[in-house]
Amino acid sequence: MPTASGPSAPPHALDATGLTKTFVGGRALSEVDLQIAAGEVCALLGENGSGKSTLIKVLSGYHSPDPGAVVRIGGQELEFTSPHSSYALGARFVHQDLGLVEESSIADNLAFGPGFPTRFGTVLERKARDRARTALNAMGLDVDPRLKVGRLSPAQKTGVAVARALLPDEASPARLLVLDEPTARLPEEEVEQLLAIVRTVAANGIGVLYVTHRLDEVFDVAERAVVLRDGVRVVSEPVEGLTRDTLLRQLFGATLEKAHRRADQLPPETPPVLRVHELRSEVLRGVSLDVRPGEIVGVAGVTGSGREALCATVFGARVHDEGEVEVRGEALPSHRPDISISRGVAYVPAERKLSGCFLDLPATENISISSMRSVWSFPLLRRSKEKEIARGWFERLGVRPAGAVDSPMSSFSGGNQQKIIYGKWFQQSPSLFLLDEPTQGVDVGSKAELHKALFRAAEDGAAVLVSSTDVDELVTISDRVVVLLRGRVVAVLEGQDINVHELTRASLGISTPGEGVA
Amino acid sequence: MNIPRRGVGFERFSGLYLWAALIIGFSLWQPDFFPTSSTVHSIAGERSISAILALAIIIPLACGAFDLSVGAVANFATINAALLINDGWSWPAAAVMAVLISTAIGAVNGLFVVRLHVSSFITTLGIGSVITALQIVVTDNLQPVAPNQSNESWANFTNHTIFGFQIVFLYLILLAFLLWWVLEHTPVGRYLYAIGSSPDAARLSGVAVNRFTWLSLIASATLAGVGGVMFSSLTGPSLTYGGGLLLPAFAAAFLGSTQIVPGRFNVWGTVMSIFVLATGVKGLQIAYPQAQWLDPAFSGAALVLAVAVAVGRQRSGEERTRKRLSRKGSGPRPDAEASLPGQTEHAVI
Repeated sequence: MPTASGPSAPPHALDATGLTKTFVGGRALSEVDLQIAAGEVCALLGENGSGKSTLIKVLSGYHSPDPGAVVRIGGQELEFTSPHSSYALGARFVHQDLGLVEESSIADNLAFGPGFPTRFGTVLERKARDRARTALNAMGLDVDPRLKVGRLSPAQKTGVAVARALLPDEASPARLLVLDEPTARLPEEEVEQLLAIVRTVAANGIGVLYVTHRLDEVFDVAERAVVLRDGVRVVSEPVEGLTRDTLLRQLFGATLEKAHRRADQLPPETPPVLRVHELRSEVLRGVSLDVRPGEIVGVAGVTGSGREALCATVFGARVHDEGEVEVRGEALPSHRPDISISRGVAYVPAERKLSGCFLDLPATENISISSMRSVWSFPLLRRSKEKEIARGWFERLGVRPAGAVDSPMSSFSGGNQQKIIYGKWFQQSPSLFLLDEPTQGVDVGSKAELHKALFRAAEDGAAVLVSSTDVDELVTISDRVVVLLRGRVVAVLEGQDINVHELTRASLGISTPGEGVA
Repeated sequence: MNIPRRGVGFERFSGLYLWAALIIGFSLWQPDFFPTSSTVHSIAGERSISAILALAIIIPLACGAFDLSVGAVANFATINAALLINDGWSWPAAAVMAVLISTAIGAVNGLFVVRLHVSSFITTLGIGSVITALQIVVTDNLQPVAPNQSNESWANFTNHTIFGFQIVFLYLILLAFLLWWVLEHTPVGRYLYAIGSSPDAARLSGVAVNRFTWLSLIASATLAGVGGVMFSSLTGPSLTYGGGLLLPAFAAAFLGSTQIVPGRFNVWGTVMSIFVLATGVKGLQIAYPQAQWLDPAFSGAALVLAVAVAVGRQRSGEERTRKRLSRKGSGPRPDAEASLPGQTEHAVI
């Protein structure tokens, strides 16, 4: 048993033993045991497909496990009948999609579930606000409940979702909080805010199951880490005894080959592929930079620094007001993605599902959309050629399920969707890649594969500009990192200077070492 | 056990089975009147114009835009063709002119949708009303003399029969082939469906979203104009039929999007749906000749049921996908999105 509990200790927030879940084609979970003490934060890690989601769905009562499993929440046995029984025992869930109504106030959002306080059918606004304020304070959030949710920062939104999940309910007090990748969409500088909320929750005696892809957070917030691999619990240990490397090894089973590239492979001084000069827009205040062939340049910066807008502005997905963008000596106009693409520029946006791909169209059509000319010869589209191309990228990028080129994009997991999007661009052999959050919401294995694919493109002479909130990623892949702050370049890091500390310092605008990171 | 794969098998051709069931049912019920060649010919002739309008609207629907003005545009073209012929124009010139006027209306629709960012739903609803008003101005609300009484070649343009079918049915088939080729076998079709799936992603993939949206509205108005001109030759310059064809057209388009290529507005699904519905209406009309309400009741119910089926299929498809992924251990997708063709448009209204 990882955590000792004396006879007088309160019952475990969660005590699951022998959880097995078999689907028609195989086992998603086998004999998983999981204990979380009251007030303990337990991190749950696992690649996509490792069984994390199934586990959560069993806890929420969505799936029934195979016979033999026993799940106790707050000491009471869970009957796998409906989501209500899980709620009644005190289990609360905050999913990645927070399910908040952006256009409504925080107070309203918190009242939609339990109901508004009313007198004769009229909503008692002040009472609703006071209730909301109490709930927010319990999370350590100091925001006005009248604010619309849409105006909150991502971390605050998550906080509101947690507050809503933990609203007091005398009939069934909360004992276990399950957070499903709460930080997947958070900018780096807001993660700490969220972790503070998690600690506050745990301090109130609630057990927290914290699902994440980010290893750093495990050591920051969790007392214990549980790793699932292929449905089997391979690790359940206090974090003190763990290192990043052990966790990584356990996540993948086999030895993990860390994608890395030596910086000395850079070609000698050659004319840059991309030249940006004094680029100005709503958020950019005069950014200049060059990217040479074969070079991978990272863009770092907190949200609002211009980091999130740079690639889109260069590509023409967003407008620029002044300044020049040149690709191989030719100027790119503002706001004309079609021209940028015809000059050999590829752009992967951060919002994969909204603007990165066509979810209801087959993978084949997603890949060929930007290179119609190569598969069209009057009077017909050459479908066999189109499929051949798609199969080729499926194979080279290791898309799973292999060969399912006719399946709609929505049937692939996030990492595989991203690979398919890369395939679409690789097909054009672009000379410049502009990537926003290139591996957001992608499991660690696919991430390494995507990085390798980028390295190959760079070795073939493409220039790559990568903007990412994932500092680890920038450190891993960049030859040079440009740091933005308030729309300007405040630092350019090279070689040994590319590390998490320097990046964070520069991003926050702290120039001299030793002042520490706020 | 053989789990049915998405898009293959019974559901995809359920319309055909329904059609067969209707034909057999009515043949048993009305053995003297229903299973005759005249039933076949009259359904084919009567419904060809409806089918052309249904084909017109699936072009903008493919890229997520509604064209609610096709009924008014078709009616206007019918009147214009008749008036011009009555004015002494040769019928081919009058037909071309009436179609060009329709094309211009489509361009105006596009202007509002693309340049002025008015939702296509609102734009075409409004413009349709304006066109109806224009028609009243042009005709003083008096039905023009039908030129097909005196002008035989004008009447023959659509009424000439081949193997018992009015030739208008052949025009429909030709137009359907043309549109099928454009939507399924050319880059234009791919661009339209891509825009319909995600306008943002299409723009970032280099698709000229504005241009194709505009063109789709021009194409739908033009095709509606063609249908209207044919109606003028086929039946005569009715002042009011256009509005009545709009709903059946949408019913067929949405019903069609559950058939042949489920999840997509497609040509053959749409054409098939028109005739499945027409068969049902015809059979009941033979049994109850007085029942005027049959047609609108069938179309309305079909529209709502078609959308219900499409949504239901989408959801069960996702459920299968999710189960398949979790069986294979490559991770269930909690975030699969339900999307019905044209759903984007509903969201902005």
